[in-house]
This record gives sequence, structure tokens and C-alpha cells, in this order.
Amino acid sequence: MNRFFHNIKKYYKYAIRSAKAELKSEVADSYLNWLWWIIEPICFMLIYTFVFGVIFKNNTPFFASFVFIGLTAWEFFNRMITGSVKLIINNRDLVTKVYIPKYILLLAKSFTYLFKMGISLVITFGLMIFQGVSFSWHIIFIIPVFIVLYILSFGMGMILMHFGVTLNDLGNLTNIGLRMIFYLSGIFYNINERLKGRLKFFLLRVNPIAFCMNELRKVMLNGKLPSFEGLLVWLIIGVILCMIGVHVIHKNENSYAKVI
Amino acid sequence: MKKKNTAKEKNIAVSVDNLHITYRGLKKTSIRASWKKIAQKVEVFEALKGVSFEIEEGKILGIIGQNGAGKSTMLRAIAGIFSPDKGTINLHGNSISLLSIGVGFNKKLTGKENIYLSGMLLGFSEDEIAKKEKEIIDFADIGDFIHKPVKTYSSGMYSKLAFAITAILETDIMLIDEVLSVGDAKFQEKSYNKMKELISDEHRTVIIVSHSLGTIKELCDEVIWLEKGEIVMKGSASEVIPKYEEFMSA
Repeated sequence: MNRFFHNIKKYYKYAIRSAKAELKSEVADSYLNWLWWIIEPICFMLIYTFVFGVIFKNNTPFFASFVFIGLTAWEFFNRMITGSVKLIINNRDLVTKVYIPKYILLLAKSFTYLFKMGISLVITFGLMIFQGVSFSWHIIFIIPVFIVLYILSFGMGMILMHFGVTLNDLGNLTNIGLRMIFYLSGIFYNINERLKGRLKFFLLRVNPIAFCMNELRKVMLNGKLPSFEGLLVWLIIGVILCMIGVHVIHKNENSYAKVI
Repeated sequence: MKKKNTAKEKNIAVSVDNLHITYRGLKKTSIRASWKKIAQKVEVFEALKGVSFEIEEGKILGIIGQNGAGKSTMLRAIAGIFSPDKGTINLHGNSISLLSIGVGFNKKLTGKENIYLSGMLLGFSEDEIAKKEKEIIDFADIGDFIHKPVKTYSSGMYSKLAFAITAILETDIMLIDEVLSVGDAKFQEKSYNKMKELISDEHRTVIIVSHSLGTIKELCDEVIWLEKGEIVMKGSASEVIPKYEEFMSA
């Protein structure tokens, strides 16, 4: 673990620079430029709000904000998982030519995703003001929730990144898994209202994404305290996943260049 | 430069001991295939079979051999891109880089931004690069294009910039896989001279892999002849190269 922190310290500046470079190059060629970072999430939100608010009739208060909070957390998780599976292979040039701790690649990627999540969060706040949601001081608790979400995604990302090197079709499997989590996380419905008994209990406790979304909505929309024991449990699980990921990568990273 | 070795006469920069590298272990597969293959034996290809040598600080070592002899594999192992399956590589605390062109370039960004990206990837800090930035830009000599996206470069300009980055950001040990000749005739001469200058620095240790025996003869103090992952011969250039030529023409 010491080696991990040493490497992070040594390379985090590179990770930031590389993340900036990627963001810049992403918009370098398009006419609307960085406006896409705002247009895209707003359009998605409009689609979901229309489909699930109007067509499927949903009475959840502040439904648009409700959807957007869910989407913000979901998009980050989704990008982390999808991004990590092919990360090493997509960086073939780099991996075969220099030594770099491989989780630095994931760290750089995660910074670009964090940036996009930040934009999405700002839009969410705008929307909440527009809808007249009453803010309370509980909103500061989004910080621990996002930290837990980040650590969990990073841990899972590292493990998937390792297996993504050797298993060609891991991407297919994660796609199915992600689709399932997408529908079972209550992004556009309220798990607390729609489901009862065991299923609700199960979904909110076993699915970390549903848990994080639910906590975010509690502190942002309802002005309640988050479940601290839940956060602690997922934090511990996240840290354990990270430790496994770091261990696996340290053990195998020097062989990746031989495979790809 | 950190030097642990205090013995005055001989400062060893790189020691390679009984180096084995096999291509095995991780193999590309699908999930379905991995179920079946668990019990099967995987094919093992030994790229290096117990290579040992030492280089003194400031010396230039040439590695020759046929294609597939394990030359590039060895360089990459010394650079830390591969890990040895058996044996050890000790760099005695020296910094090292494998001279390679355009690592980590992002083609949509300007040349200047790529200097930083590539340099930091090679293990240099932002400050170190900032100090050398002007020197790199001057050496690359591509004019105003340094402020334009790399994708607008001609291939010659691209390699000029890439070469300048690796040549100006120097490390204690340099590994060179084929001496580079890039750009137009004028730049080729300039880059060759720069290489010679870098290589002949008395504190810099260099390992060169090349098929050009002329280059090896001109530059190297010592030569190792590799064949099928094993050392056939080790010695001065004048000893090894005639034997190798004899072998190749036979």
C-alpha cells in the first residue's frame, strides 16, 4: 500500500495534466465546443423526465431534480466501469513503451469523469433552485456520499482493468451487469415508493449505486441526514476493493506489455 | 545521481543477473475459453534464458543478434516495462529511460503541451521540464508549429519534436532500440550528432540495440551477442563483431 501512495504522489500531477489534455482534445474539434458538456446532460435529463414523468406518470415531488441526482451519480459509475475495462488496451502505445503504474491511467480517467460529474452537479443545483427545492445544511453530506461512490468505483475499476487485459469479452459481461444495475438503482423511480418488503430492503442495501443515490436524494431533496452506518460499511468495502485492486495490479502490471 | 557504490575504480551502473523472461502467464482469452483451458498446459516461450552481465558507469554497450534473439525484450525488461520471471536487474539507483518516440502524445493538442505530457510520463517533474522547455523547442526547430496541434504536423516534424523531447530530457542510463534517424538530412545529422554527444557523456551509461554493425563499431565500448535468448559472446567490439559477421555469412 505504501508503494501505491508513493506512486500517487509521484504521478498525480501527470494524471491531472493528462485528464486536462483529454478533456481539451475531446472538444477541440466540435463547433459547440465545451457547451456539449452542458447540453448533453440537460438533454438526457429532459428525455428521462418526459418519458418517466409524463408517459409513465410519476408523482414523486421535484421529479426532474430527482432524476438528475440519480443520473449524475449513475453516469460517473457507468463511465468508470466501462472506461476501465479497455483502459490498458486503449493505451497500448504507452504501456509498451514506458513504465507507469497502471492505476495512474485509471486515476487520470477518473479525473475527467469527476469533472463531468461536477458539471452535472452544478446543473442539478440550478434545477433545484428552479424547481423551488428548499435547501438545508444537510446538503454538505453529499461530500461523504461522493467520496464513498468514488472509492467504490475506483476499486472496482482497478479490478476490472486487470481482467480486461486478458479477457477479450469482459466488456460484454460488464455491459449486461451495468444495464441491470441501471434499472435496479431507481434512477427514474423511487425505490422507497415502488417496492416493498424484501426486494426494497435488498436493492437498497446490496446495490451500492442505489444506496448512494438514495442517500444523495435524502440529503439534497428531503433535508435528512444520510445513513452513516451504511456509508461506513460501503466505505470499508470500497477500501477493501481498492486494496485488492492495487495488489492485483502491482503483481501483474509488468506482464501487461507482453499480452497486448 | 545517487551512487551507493563507493569503490572508486569501478562504478557498476547496471547489473543483470541470470535474467529469464518468458511469454506465458497472462494470455489473451475469452471467458468461455478460460473455463476450458484451466487444466491445460499453456505454451511457454522463453525469450531470455539466463542472461547475466554488468556495465560500468559511462560505458556504452551494444547488443547484436538476429531477429527474435531477445534484444528488445531485454531492453524493455531493463527499462522496467517487463518484470523478470527469474533473476534480477539492479540499476543501483540510476534513472533510466528507453528512448522511444512520441510516448503519450495527444495529437489534438499543441506541441508545447505534448512536451509536458510526454516528459512527465518519462518520469520528470513539471519544473524540470519547464527548465528544459526552451532547449527542447530550439532543438526541435519546427518554428511556430510548436503552438499548433500535433495532428497538423508533417511526419518529419512529428519525429523531430519527439526526438527532441527524449534527447534533451536526459537520464543516467539510456536505452536505445535502433539509433534513430528522423527528419530531413539536416536534422538527421543533427540528431545523430546529438545522440553521439549524449552517448559519449562520461557519466552516462548507454545500451544500444542495433542491426547496423557500423554504428555499433563506432559507438560501443563493449558488445554482447545474443542468440535465441542466450549470450553467445561478450567482449570488445573488435573481438565480437568479426565473429558475428562470420556467423551471419556462414
